[in-house]
Amino acid sequence: MSTVTINTKINNRKYSLAVAPNTTLLHFLREELGLTGTKCGCEIGECGACTVLLNGEAVNSCLVLVPQIDGKEILTVEGLAKDGKLHPLQESFMDHDAVHCGFCTPGMLMSAKALLDKNPDPDEKEIRTAISGNLCRCTGYVQIVDAIKEVVK
Amino acid sequence: MKPFEYRAVHSVEEAVSVLAEYGSDARILAGGTDLLIELRKQNVKTPKVVIDISFIKELRGIESPNGTVMLQSLTTHSEIVNSKVVQQYASLLTGAASVIGSPQIRNKGTVGGNIMNAATCADTVPPLIALGAKITLKSKTNSRQIDLSDLFIKPYQTKAKPEEILTEIQFPKLSSNVKSSFIKLGRRNALSISRLSVAAILTQDKNGKITDARIVPGAALPVWRRVTEAEILLIGKKPSKELFTAAGQKVSEVMISHTGRRWSTEYKEPVIATLVRRALEMCVGDLKDLKDLKDLKD
Ligand SMILES: Cc1cc2nc3c(=O)[nH]c(=O)nc-3n(C[C@H](O)[C@H](O)[C@H](O)COP(=O)(O)OP(=O)(O)OC[C@H]3O[C@@H](n4cnc5c(N)ncnc54)[C@H](O)[C@@H]3O)c2cc1C
Ligand code: FES
Ligand code: FES
Repeated sequence: MSTVTINTKINNRKYSLAVAPNTTLLHFLREELGLTGTKCGCEIGECGACTVLLNGEAVNSCLVLVPQIDGKEILTVEGLAKDGKLHPLQESFMDHDAVHCGFCTPGMLMSAKALLDKNPDPDEKEIRTAISGNLCRCTGYVQIVDAIKEVVK
Repeated sequence: MKPFEYRAVHSVEEAVSVLAEYGSDARILAGGTDLLIELRKQNVKTPKVVIDISFIKELRGIESPNGTVMLQSLTTHSEIVNSKVVQQYASLLTGAASVIGSPQIRNKGTVGGNIMNAATCADTVPPLIALGAKITLKSKTNSRQIDLSDLFIKPYQTKAKPEEILTEIQFPKLSSNVKSSFIKLGRRNALSISRLSVAAILTQDKNGKITDARIVPGAALPVWRRVTEAEILLIGKKPSKELFTAAGQKVSEVMISHTGRRWSTEYKEPVIATLVRRALEMCVGDLKDLKDLKDLKD
């Protein structure tokens, strides 16, 4: 099996790499680039722990074949903080105790970021829809929704 | 995932020529939300080559040329949900696309992939069949348009040839006096595949009499089709709960005549009847919100 050369931008850094095509974006991020913030849960698109932004849209990185990101931009949870300062969503998640075990948090943050980038003033229903593809087994979602609402205010 | 060759193609022309070369050794990759899961399974045959069509620009977008709506096959479910054209001329399709999977799945999954995967629970198919959609299949040597309802052989199997690619889906616009609805019953709200669903379209004359009816259940019959046996009950009559209940019962009967009685029939029989009645009620405005669907006993 031959490798495929891709040009991509991940967290604002350009990469030109030869990749094995039978790799998911999720494994590529975690194992090739060491970006382990993106979590590996179900690998069948159901839990949302692997959510990243592909050209600004939330997608499950376990359902993206890595050569599909050629020419595209990826943002992972590691790309949220700027100049050593956490993103307002990250601050708000901490303030609202929206992080318990933390496994769902990176995916939740990315889904919330995708929402706010498109719709800076979402109502509760829109927030709940935006995170409907992200499972959390700890919080019961209330704190997470509150944390996102706080950033909207 | 087992190894395979990967070919990214950038035009339909390139796609069909690579398909002609590899035939049944190739698999098309669009959004990948079905295919990637399949490729990871241990017990399925890995294709020799995966042909990635996701970069083909000409296969994206929604247009509405004279009286019709045209969806290119790579149109995502999110793009369908956000399309003003679809909202205006085929609102039942907006409804169906909006309840697929999750935002992440809707951003990646395409209407072409939904059709060609041919799972009984494919949510865009019942509305598209109710709309009378035709699809275009292209190969290196041929291009043909067929009725979507003629595509399917059985679950996960279509009449498309291995060297063919689905390029577009076309259907006539619904005029503003025609009402439509889509109801899906899953196990929970997000990320649930359809246990059962119903797409309905109703036209009434100015006296309220029904002049045209189309009912297509999802996940109920071996292959999708309009249930004309129930549709004819409605023609020439005015909407009423009794009439819509009778239509629902008819769909239920037809379902059982196809599938026979099995373990799930006890559940599906009353539920499909109720879903049909409610889909029809939604068309005539007696049922406004899906929230009203919570209690199935009513
Ligand atoms: C967690 C989860 C939830 C889901 N929920 C739903 C749901 O609620 N409702 C629903 O209907 N579906 C659901 N799906 C299924 C899936 O997302 C949809 O069927 C989607 O539309 C598939 O499109 P795709 O572009 O991702 O297809 P792909 O995975 O890329 O392809 C699917 C199949 O179609 C073939 N194909 C794709 N495009 C073409 C083409 N243009 N010409 C010829 N062949 C083609 C491929 O070779 C493959 O066999 C869900 C999937 C997941 C993982
Ligand atoms: S790991 Fe991708 S959705 Fe669960
Ligand atoms: S905090 Fe544990 S899964 Fe969400």
